[in-house]
Amino acid sequence: MVNSLTTLAYTPFVDALAVHEYWYLLIVPMSIFLAIGYKAIRCTHLKDYPREVTVFTIQVLGGLLLLAIAFTIVITLIIPMLAPMPS
Amino acid sequence: MTTPPPTQFNPLAGLVAVIFPGAGHLVLGRPKRAILACVGVMGLFLFGLLIGGIDTIDSSQPYPTKIWFLGESLVGVPTLVVDQINQRSFKAYDLDSGALRNGYPNEHRVNDGTRPVWQALTADQMDSGMGPPMTPALGRLHEIAMLSIVLGGMLNLIVFLDALMPSPERVLNKSKSNKGGA
Repeated sequence: MVNSLTTLAYTPFVDALAVHEYWYLLIVPMSIFLAIGYKAIRCTHLKDYPREVTVFTIQVLGGLLLLAIAFTIVITLIIPMLAPMPS
Repeated sequence: MTTPPPTQFNPLAGLVAVIFPGAGHLVLGRPKRAILACVGVMGLFLFGLLIGGIDTIDSSQPYPTKIWFLGESLVGVPTLVVDQINQRSFKAYDLDSGALRNGYPNEHRVNDGTRPVWQALTADQMDSGMGPPMTPALGRLHEIAMLSIVLGGMLNLIVFLDALMPSPERVLNKSKSNKGGA
C-alpha cells in the first residue's frame, strides 16, 4: 500500500530514472537483452550461444550507429543544401 | 536427403508461455533456453520499468497512446500485474473532473473514505518534500522506457510462437542430438 505522504525520494521501478543526458547509452543494455532473448530460441546449439549473442548485439548497435550517421548527414548536410534556410 | 519431421504443435506449452515468459520452453523440456528467454524478455521489461517508472505501463491512457500498452501487454501476466498496481496504488481521482489520473507535483494522494483523490499541498508540505507517490518519466525517456517494454513484448511473442509451434528444423536438430541444445 502506498503511503499518501510519500516524499519525492527516488524509488526504483516506481519513479523515473534521471538519465536524460545519457539517453543514447540506454540502447546498449536493450540490445544485449534483446540478443539474449532472441538467440535463446534461434541459436541451434547452445555452445555457440555466447558468440551469437555478442555478434547479434554488435550487429544491432552497428546498424543503429550507421542509421544515426546517415540521418546526421541528411539533416545537417543534404537538407540545408536542398532547402537553405533564410539567414 | 532426410525429410524434416512435421511441426509439433504443443498447446500446453503455448498456454504456459502466455502466463510467464519462457515457461513454455520449460514444459518442452528445454530449461536452459527457457531461462535465457526469460532473462531476455524480463530484462527488457524490468529495464523499461527502471528507466520510466511504473507509469510506463498504463492501460488508462487514451488512444493513440494506448497502442503502446497493447504492445506492452504481449509480455503477458507481468504487464497486467504492474498495470493493476499502477491503477490501484498510484493513481487517484481528480476532485473537479472525476477522472482517474496521475498526481501533479503540488498534490498528494489521500483517501476520502470511498476512493483515493488528489489533494493540493500547502507550501510548507511541499517544502517538506511531500508530493505524489511517484514521478513519471517525460519526453524521450518515457519513449525509450515504453520501447524497451514493447520490445520485450514482441520478443515474448516470438518465444511464445516457438513454444507453441517449434520449427521443423529445430525439432530435427533436437532429435539428431541433444549435445548443445537443452
